[in-house]
Amino acid sequence: MYFKKTTALLLAAMLAMTISCKKVDETAPGAPSKGQAGAIKIGFLGALTGDVAMFGKPTLEGMKMAADELNAAGGVLGKKIEIVETDNRGDKQEGASVTQKMISRDNVIAIVGDPTTGITKVAAPIAQKARVVLLSAGATGPGVVENGDFIFRDTLLDSIAIPACINFFAKERGYRNVAVVTSDNNDYSVGLSQTFLAAAKVNGIRIIADEKIKDGDKDFSAQVTNIKATKPDVIFFSGYYTEGALFMKEARKQGLTVNMFGGDGLFSPKLMELGGSAVEGSMLALGFSPEQATPVAAKFVEGFKSRYGSEPGLYAAQGYDAILLLASAIKSANSPDPKLFKESLARINKFEGVSGTISMQQNREPIKSPLALLEVKGGKFTLKAKVPVKIDQR
Amino acid sequence: MGEAVQSMVGQIDPYLLQIVVIIGIAIVLALGLNVITGLTGQLSLGHAAFMSIGAFTSALLTIKLQTPFSVNLLVTGALTAAVGVLIGYPILRLTGDYLAICTLGFAEIVKVIFLNLEITNKAFGLSVPPPISATPLPITVWLVVFLAITLVSFIQNSRFGRALKAIRCDEIAAEAMGIDVARYKVQSFAIGTFLAGVGGGLYAHFISFINPSDFGFLKSVDILSMIVLGGLGSIPGCIIGSALLSAAPEFLRFMATYRMLVYGGLLVFMMIFRPNGLMGGINFMEIFLKLLGRKPGMKKLQERWRQP
Amino acid sequence: MFLQQLINGLALGSTYALIALGYTMVYGIITLINFAHGEIFMVGAFVGLLMVSTFKLNIFLAILIAMISCMLLGIVIERVAYRPLRKSSRLSALISAIGVSIFLSSLAQMIFGADAKGFPESAFPVHQIRVGTADISTLQLLIIGVSAALMIALEFIVKRTKIGKAMRATAEDYNTAALMGINVNMIISFTFALGSALAAAGGVLVGLLFNAVSFNMGLMAGLKAFAAAVLGGIGSIPGAMLGGLLLGITEVFGVAAGYSSYRDAIAFTILVFVLMVKPTGLLGKKIQKKV
Repeated sequence: MYFKKTTALLLAAMLAMTISCKKVDETAPGAPSKGQAGAIKIGFLGALTGDVAMFGKPTLEGMKMAADELNAAGGVLGKKIEIVETDNRGDKQEGASVTQKMISRDNVIAIVGDPTTGITKVAAPIAQKARVVLLSAGATGPGVVENGDFIFRDTLLDSIAIPACINFFAKERGYRNVAVVTSDNNDYSVGLSQTFLAAAKVNGIRIIADEKIKDGDKDFSAQVTNIKATKPDVIFFSGYYTEGALFMKEARKQGLTVNMFGGDGLFSPKLMELGGSAVEGSMLALGFSPEQATPVAAKFVEGFKSRYGSEPGLYAAQGYDAILLLASAIKSANSPDPKLFKESLARINKFEGVSGTISMQQNREPIKSPLALLEVKGGKFTLKAKVPVKIDQR
Repeated sequence: MGEAVQSMVGQIDPYLLQIVVIIGIAIVLALGLNVITGLTGQLSLGHAAFMSIGAFTSALLTIKLQTPFSVNLLVTGALTAAVGVLIGYPILRLTGDYLAICTLGFAEIVKVIFLNLEITNKAFGLSVPPPISATPLPITVWLVVFLAITLVSFIQNSRFGRALKAIRCDEIAAEAMGIDVARYKVQSFAIGTFLAGVGGGLYAHFISFINPSDFGFLKSVDILSMIVLGGLGSIPGCIIGSALLSAAPEFLRFMATYRMLVYGGLLVFMMIFRPNGLMGGINFMEIFLKLLGRKPGMKKLQERWRQP
Repeated sequence: MFLQQLINGLALGSTYALIALGYTMVYGIITLINFAHGEIFMVGAFVGLLMVSTFKLNIFLAILIAMISCMLLGIVIERVAYRPLRKSSRLSALISAIGVSIFLSSLAQMIFGADAKGFPESAFPVHQIRVGTADISTLQLLIIGVSAALMIALEFIVKRTKIGKAMRATAEDYNTAALMGINVNMIISFTFALGSALAAAGGVLVGLLFNAVSFNMGLMAGLKAFAAAVLGGIGSIPGAMLGGLLLGITEVFGVAAGYSSYRDAIAFTILVFVLMVKPTGLLGKKIQKKV
């Protein structure tokens, strides 16, 4: 009796597995091999569900928008661009499976993602081994492009951005005493704080408080009380916008009036949505200025608003740029073969993207210049200053 | 031989191969927890912490000391087991949910410590080079799976295993029968954490990049779900539970963003459908003998092989 | 600064206590670690947010509606996911609870998105009260007050009312209680409804205090509340309150002492040490095992 029930269950499970496998197999024989006829397939690697979906979702939205625009204009090399959507839940194990699936089952020629450094590092060796281009839109940590000549990224790097800004910080604003807030379980934040601490030393800025939070925390009262007692000129906050907004809310509640300064992780309309009046005066460094937008960027912002009904954030812009960068590289190589267009991707110079003017360095890392220093005023990001970045590695 | 195997493995669809490896690693982890929770009946919600200790130890052994993989895994397992004993000794005198929350707390503490340690590279995590071994990783993983299954089934049917089961059924009665409950509990904890460490080592080298946040509460819960779903204390249950749950996110992929919704629902449904787990209460020896058409003389075997 | 940190700790501890109360009560009656409790707390917060921001209701009305809807949710969850498993192993019920928890948080994410959402600033006019060197907000006071009041109310219901007597009887011995003419199914449903209503009230208040409601807020809150409940002695209502406050205060003073990077570890280390010394928690009853 038991036996029958279980056998039936097992059979059902096996059947389900074979069916789901078959579905994929059916498309496999007819599918074009890498870079041949048919559509140009580009994979999206990122989370659509789970704790980090707020970074993956907008990236995909930006990518889809770019692909549709390119396709409406006749595609690339006469072929349509097709985005292969997947979801990795922000889980490394799934990130690995999905990368492998996109490469060996969907035959993508390039993968855009993951917005987080961790999964990018898991996917990069797989892509490199399979000779598929991986262009990370969001990973900022070290050890990504070192994986090989097929691995790129289009994110603004803290190691370049922060030293450029800190000068402005010390000279124009006269800030001397800074309280640093780091999100301990966020590699982006830990990295940004380290860069900041090093740059602060050079510029004679004193660190008077060094507080740690965690992504996902909601209560910051104790840290704010600590910081308030040290009377800083400004708070350097290296985490993401959700925690940044909540941190400032708590600061204002306790009567701490100084402003916050941070990296591009703070750039999102959600900062103001959550923070309200508490984030007025907050500043951040970004690869582009939404206020003095270039024509491409202005068109992107308009298009995004009418398509998705919300302001685009950094991740949407980076996803959009990733597709355009790939398309431009494919065009100039005149081939969708990753082995060929990776060369032209590496030679991208002064590309007018929506997330800034992008030049690839020899190590396949981007430089975006000039940097924009933004300030929140009246619930909007406004341009405070433009800081040029030296491009020295070309 | 190495190269022949390597090329043979190279022939298999890499996507499928990856899933097979993931399942293998899950089985090793689940077997470890099965010894602690399934056999001995001690609920642990911190298995992922031991996995992370194993993962980081193993990664560092490869990075800093270039240890051959087989030695690496053994040392990793032993070290994790040592930590397991160290932790297990004081907390295993707690019972039931108090023990559960203690293991959970321990897991959180380990995570925070790893996030602050220089040697584990804080939040950045460690990039793990390929294992130093001639055997391809998938083969190693399944060799380990095979060894782990042998080990656990040997334990299950030994004097030691029966003592563990006695503790699970009734601690006081077991003690009255002369079983040194405290010692046996710690020993079972050592075996379980040994396997968790080995599983962590395999995971680290498979995934090639680890950071402390990977081994949170949800990972522990994943492993626990595997053994409960499969049937507590049953090795075939362990294997089927791990295979089903670690492959589920992949074959539910066609549901796109509804995937986790369905996964949650399925967990509830399967527990209601088979409250004792898929393989719970099934006697495999009996089935095997029935298939062979052998009925008489089975009584004795039945007694011997009866699953809990 | 000491006073300010003490208030911070009390407010944080009260939020833990608020969730832990429901946790511990459900545990006390049916000895189930209801892992979905944190998710009910999350759903409550979202219902409250929806009422305030979309339907422009008064915050207290919103809390009431959140409590009622979560009551229903709690009853449904118990009926669907726990009742069929009442007679089987406790671990099966635990996994079922985890399934419910995954289901609810995925559902919330599909409906409300992955980003945290805040209450409109007009939802609850916050005033700051200055006491010496410390700033106390009216919201912090409200939360401390509400959790204390709920603790007393719960203790009253369980210890002094007829239905409370039935609850305790059910907790003592399920079968005997049924034989005594107690409708145990009804009692368990009632327990879940009460616990879920508490969680919902907690959800809205905590959402207000931190000004953030997100689909994954339930997990960590649930774990901390679980820790608080065990610290105080699981099943004991004053214990949950005590455990919550103790946890909140140690966390805050850990940060105040400069160990912000070890915050979560501090809380759990305290927990582990207390259990070492007193294996049944601070106010937990010693369970005499029958041989």
